[in-house]
Amino acid sequence: MDLENTKAQMRKGILEYCILSVLSRSSCYASDIIKELKEAKVIVVEGTLYPLLTRQKNAGLLSYRWEESQQGPPRKYYELTSEGKEYLTDLDKSWDDLVESVNMIRTR
Amino acid sequence: MKITVSINLGGYSFNIDEDAYTELKRYLKNLGLHFAGEESSSEILSDIEARMSELFRAKLTAYKQVITMDDVRNVMSVLGTPEDISDNEGTSARDKFSSPGYHRMYRDPDNRLIGGVCAGMGAYWNIEPWILRIIFLALILAGGLSILVYLILYIVLPEAKTTAQKIEMKGEPVNIHNIKDSVKKEFDTVRKNMKL
Repeated sequence: MDLENTKAQMRKGILEYCILSVLSRSSCYASDIIKELKEAKVIVVEGTLYPLLTRQKNAGLLSYRWEESQQGPPRKYYELTSEGKEYLTDLDKSWDDLVESVNMIRTR
Repeated sequence: MKITVSINLGGYSFNIDEDAYTELKRYLKNLGLHFAGEESSSEILSDIEARMSELFRAKLTAYKQVITMDDVRNVMSVLGTPEDISDNEGTSARDKFSSPGYHRMYRDPDNRLIGGVCAGMGAYWNIEPWILRIIFLALILAGGLSILVYLILYIVLPEAKTTAQKIEMKGEPVNIHNIKDSVKKEFDTVRKNMKL
């Protein structure tokens, strides 16, 4: 067994959920999302985020708009679509269930 | 003194050292190959370039106006190598794509001497291609029929062009892990060639 690999597998599943959670509070551009994910230590290399954002956008969970920026070229701001919000509600529920299940086993 | 190159990255213009430029170009090419199977690979790449441009801009000051090799390496470690990215990615479309150990005979363009027929048969049966080549040569010298056999095989056998086909040729199951391994091997060859 490889500990790093197990950890990576665990992160894999929750990263998608975390991205949607970050976006549920307000629309963000990719670097804002990265900042939050890094602070929460759920992302290791930034490159992981971009394919996920694009897949979520293609799946209809996210939409984006271009916004002018003072510091450089226009930025891509992502936000949850109504479908994305529903999806997130489902994930919230299943996360709570998971935490409950794991705790039940750990504290038995 | 060093030569610099002027590049446009995410809509911003940078002056970058020539060696750093070569490294950056190689990195972007590898990322491009990594995302090649994605539905919107060019979109992912341009998002990554936009982020790179932002990271590079943060490194420039009035006294430092050129992107160096260190800057490029630093940005590469922040964004991650294609291998890091696929280890940490969420469920990728390609993870689902996995066919059971499909075994087919192909012509092997990587180890070919003439048309890759012997190399392909060697990969299929796991025999050294030169043994097959000697047999072919012996048959040609003995009867002269086998040139025709070779030509027929050349026409009948398809060339293993994609990574998936090359894996099928060796009879390994096609999944993301061994695709990744062979792509990695290809990167290493490209890297070696560029150094020469």
